[in-house]
Amino acid sequence: MTTVIASYNIKGGVGKTSAAINLAALAAASGERVLLWDLDPQGAATFMLRVKPKIKGGGRKLVNGKNDAAPLIKGSDYERLDLLPADFSYRNMDLALDATKRPTRRLAAVLAPLASDYDYVFLDCPPAISLASESIFGAADVLLVPLIASPLSLRTFAQLQRFIAEEVRDGPRILAFFSMTDGRKRLHRELIAELSATHEEVLRTAIPAASDVEQMAVHRGPVSDFAAHGRAGRAYAALWAELRARIDPAGGAAIPRGETATRA
Amino acid sequence: MRVIVRGTQLLLPDGLSASGAADALASEIPIVTQRAHVLERTFWDSFDGRVHAAGLALIDSAGGLSLADATTYAEVARGAKLGRAQRVLVDDLPPGDLRAQLEPLLEMRALTPIARVRSRMLPIGVLDDEGKTVVRLRVEEASTRLDSETSTALRPRLHLTGVRGYDDELERLRALLVGSLGLTEAVRPVQDDAVAAAGGTPGGISSKLRVKLRAEQRADGAAVVVLRDLLTTIEVNLPGTLADVDSEFLHDLRVSVRRTRALQRELSKVFPPEPLRCFRDDFKELQQVTGPTRDLDVQLLEFGELERDLPATSAPDVAPLRTLLADHRSAEQRKMVRALRSEPVRVVLRDWSAFLEDLTDAPTTDRPDAARPIGDVAGHRIAKVYKRMVKMGRAIDDASPHEALHDLRKQGKELRYLLEFFSSLYPADVVKPMVGSLKSLQDVLGRFQDCEVQADQLRSLGDEVAALDGGAAALMAMGVLVERLRDDQHTARDQFAERFARFATAEQREIVKRTFT
Repeated sequence: MTTVIASYNIKGGVGKTSAAINLAALAAASGERVLLWDLDPQGAATFMLRVKPKIKGGGRKLVNGKNDAAPLIKGSDYERLDLLPADFSYRNMDLALDATKRPTRRLAAVLAPLASDYDYVFLDCPPAISLASESIFGAADVLLVPLIASPLSLRTFAQLQRFIAEEVRDGPRILAFFSMTDGRKRLHRELIAELSATHEEVLRTAIPAASDVEQMAVHRGPVSDFAAHGRAGRAYAALWAELRARIDPAGGAAIPRGETATRA
Repeated sequence: MRVIVRGTQLLLPDGLSASGAADALASEIPIVTQRAHVLERTFWDSFDGRVHAAGLALIDSAGGLSLADATTYAEVARGAKLGRAQRVLVDDLPPGDLRAQLEPLLEMRALTPIARVRSRMLPIGVLDDEGKTVVRLRVEEASTRLDSETSTALRPRLHLTGVRGYDDELERLRALLVGSLGLTEAVRPVQDDAVAAAGGTPGGISSKLRVKLRAEQRADGAAVVVLRDLLTTIEVNLPGTLADVDSEFLHDLRVSVRRTRALQRELSKVFPPEPLRCFRDDFKELQQVTGPTRDLDVQLLEFGELERDLPATSAPDVAPLRTLLADHRSAEQRKMVRALRSEPVRVVLRDWSAFLEDLTDAPTTDRPDAARPIGDVAGHRIAKVYKRMVKMGRAIDDASPHEALHDLRKQGKELRYLLEFFSSLYPADVVKPMVGSLKSLQDVLGRFQDCEVQADQLRSLGDEVAALDGGAAALMAMGVLVERLRDDQHTARDQFAERFARFATAEQREIVKRTFT
């Protein structure tokens, strides 16, 4: 069965795309068949996987069911990791969804025929809370929320949790992790320690603000491709192991040390 | 899920090495060469190539045992490494997906190593203007081990694997490689090359009779074509029978001996009488020495079905019977191997081969059918056996002794063989339905006889079983089985009239009259 994981936050610039790419690459390297759907019209994930940010027929036909997703999928440079590329027309996703009958179920419907092809689907979501977000909530099994260690960001997270609990029927499970952390800042250290101890939905692994993550856009690939054993590389590996164990406690063994995605 | 991999394999031109191929490519398109690695693989299959026939390859390597697509090696199922075993039955494999996939393919056939291949793989990525891999290549430089000391190099090949969403790039590259660089399409995978290099037959050896005859061909020449094919089947199945690789070697050997004897009888007038008499005796003996082992093989192969016929509570009671049958089988098999290894058997096969070689040149004075067209001789024999069967079948009623049905079955086998030998002489739309109705009749007659034979065998083992530990319970369970077999035999007998009627309709008789003259 496919598990759909949406890397999502209302805010931009919190490490959603980095998380989606790195976790997807680690999942593929551990033997899973993985699809990454770049839903962000900026197409950062698509750029980093060296694919042209364009889909035939545009986003509207894809979300309204006129075009199937399968022929639009591109294989990446990593074995078992495929990409459904971004398209600039995704900026009008809300309009396209609004024109359909059950907009909040549309993204799930697009993914349904691919269920037997993939073990995991990662959604790299655009920031904002909109009709597109609601459709993402309808499609995702897990909403993975990168959190910035600031009181404001935590308040927004609480709002998101409340919204999903109140407004989304059979909504996704919400898991969060701290992103872009700075171990030198006391506030960061204290917030992370406190929240991961008291909130079950906050994962223990935090992703540091490291230059390796910024370098992804230069190398055009996941951290595991060029700095697997750096701070960020190790953190993403630990995050994937923890996430997998939380999603599937029975089969979610930690991936072996040193197992990294390599360009195949 | 079967992974669909878009791909193809091309053979490198003579004299071009992996690095040479990489250099040639680099001058045409942007590529990135990765580190080469070595792959040691042992390919396994049954003697008759059942894994191959399913489009698959069973590969044992350091990573374990893998059932994969024969060309792309996309994995279908995986299991634990086989290691040093030289023969594996599907029951020897641990339960799991791999075994579940192999069970229906292999049935009772054993797996043996068919090729050992050592490949140096050089992966190459073909890049687009974004520096992204759009086609994956692997140059494979392989060699196969012929024995413990020698190995031979196989023609280097290039594997092209498409990346999803980049089909056009794959096609363009393929055209470039074939058109400009002189590569040719590989018609078979590397393991088939390895089998062929060792003198084997890629795809395994079938015991099916495959001969093409012409109606105007001389009858003795046609007989030789069929008999040579049968002799080859006997010879290729002999080593596996002696080594007891699996039960089908002996089965196929015996079928060919029986077919040989049928042709010796049916086309007797194409042979000189005296040598034929001797060979008929020899082949009869070959049939006899192999009989007891085959009978016990059948009992053991069908044992599971017999157990299923018992109530669940009694099924474990027959375990001592299975042990006894296995012991008897081992003893009979040893006896048979001694007989088959003996000088006389070797001489018979050698002399029979020489006899067939010379037959068409021998004088025809004492073999009146030798120079007649096979179409006439075979047609006459088929019509005659068919008519005989119709007559025998019509005479069978509820009061007829069992032997009447047994005799009819023997004639049925004779007719079946004749139709197999000479099917190429007649229209398929005549032969196929005729074989169909004959098969359906033979099924009933076969079940009728097998039930009787099995019940007799069970009865004959009664004293021995009674003397074993747990013998009393086994004996009671055997009583239930004998009763069950008798019921089945009655059912078969009840079905006889209807099956025979279909075999001997007025329309069918008319077709036989018209076709086989």
